[in-house]
Amino acid sequence: MRRLRAIDLTYGAVFVCLMAIGANITVWFPILAVPIGGTSVPLSLQTFFAILAGFMLGKRLGSLSMLTYLLLGTAGVPIFAGLEGGPFALISPTGGFIISFIFVAYFVGLIAEWYKSPSILIYTVAAIIGLLINYGLGVSYMYIAMNTWLELTISYSIAWIGMIPFLIKDAILSIVAATFMVNITKRLPLLWQRA
Amino acid sequence: MNNSLIIGQYVPGNSLVHKLDPRTKITIIFFYVITVFFANSLASYSVLVVFALACMFTSRVPLRFIMKGLTPVWFLIIFTFILHLFVTKEGTVIFDFWIFEFYSGGVIQGFAISIRFFLLILVTSLLTLTTTPIEITDAIEDMLRPLNKVRFPVHELALMMSISLRFIPTLMQETDKISRAQASRGVDFRTGPIKDRIKAVVPLLVPLFVSAFKRAEELAMAMEARGYQGGEGRTKLRELKIELRDIMVYLLFACVIALLFLTRNYS
Repeated sequence: MRRLRAIDLTYGAVFVCLMAIGANITVWFPILAVPIGGTSVPLSLQTFFAILAGFMLGKRLGSLSMLTYLLLGTAGVPIFAGLEGGPFALISPTGGFIISFIFVAYFVGLIAEWYKSPSILIYTVAAIIGLLINYGLGVSYMYIAMNTWLELTISYSIAWIGMIPFLIKDAILSIVAATFMVNITKRLPLLWQRA
Repeated sequence: MNNSLIIGQYVPGNSLVHKLDPRTKITIIFFYVITVFFANSLASYSVLVVFALACMFTSRVPLRFIMKGLTPVWFLIIFTFILHLFVTKEGTVIFDFWIFEFYSGGVIQGFAISIRFFLLILVTSLLTLTTTPIEITDAIEDMLRPLNKVRFPVHELALMMSISLRFIPTLMQETDKISRAQASRGVDFRTGPIKDRIKAVVPLLVPLFVSAFKRAEELAMAMEARGYQGGEGRTKLRELKIELRDIMVYLLFACVIALLFLTRNYS
């Protein structure tokens, strides 16, 4: 395993900032709150950026960058959704999503690195796997949080039903991420491929 | 908003809580959060409440800052309380209203969970209210140092946290500029079907990426030009030091935990 270079660190840090902006994109573009099924879903680009981090930075640096995002937010910098920060964000029911980004970036990066020059199909598959990890971990965490430390008994299926509008929007964005990547790779060498 | 991005929620001060080593604070809060879940009797809850309030008052952080931390979770607290009121059917009926019956068990449990919530938020926000993100970064770097043995890049992680801290306000300003620039060119972010709104993300992302990656490249170049070679042999500007007051606070906290387990209900 090679040592991280200066360029790795700066790109990792930039993705932390992108995550912070992606989580709160509606602050700058309030109308990105999209109405789906009667409710207004604030469009967050977090899953999108976590998947991109996996593609661009690779499995090791990508997951390290997402861990940095988690730690920095926990340290009180208001970079989580809703411009919040602090350790409580991890205890609250949606904390699992923040934790899952580490694994999203890792596995997406793993797939991208496996195929040396991925096609759009591989990118789409990787993005969808990333999305499934994101929601699988996030919703399970929500279910566990509700039933243990919040002592609210809800069933696993209800936890999922509440997340469906978000899942739809993130599914679309994940596919956008995949098509985006094909364009990026033409213009910019990926970090894990650079010598 | 930009100010809060650099210093987090930090409220400057000169109290004992401010002066404690950040590692001490993180360790104590970590164990406090765990022990909160062990409390199950009135006495054990009181022990925890007294400790939390004592910390709050010694920190001398103005109350409004603490209340600000509570605002996003009021809803969650009230919601859990009311849900328990309706759902838990234990103990005796104490209140009868229309078709609803409120049981004493529900009230007690609702209260206990609200208090637990309140304590968790109070104590965790005290950490971020009295410690700057930079101090926490230093503490994390130091506390994770054993992971160096398994070749986990601890120093790099901490450096990445510092770099992000410097970039976040800049890139957020950049996003603001981009949104104005695109609006002045007539991009409509306000209306339209979902497909168009998602498409509107692209003219945002492309300039944001260009600017973000350019900054990353430039900083990396600057670091290399100044001879950055990783963590080995690097000295620190800020040194962490455990003082007598940290040891005293650890001892006090050990007493609190002992008291909690003594007053706990074991039946």
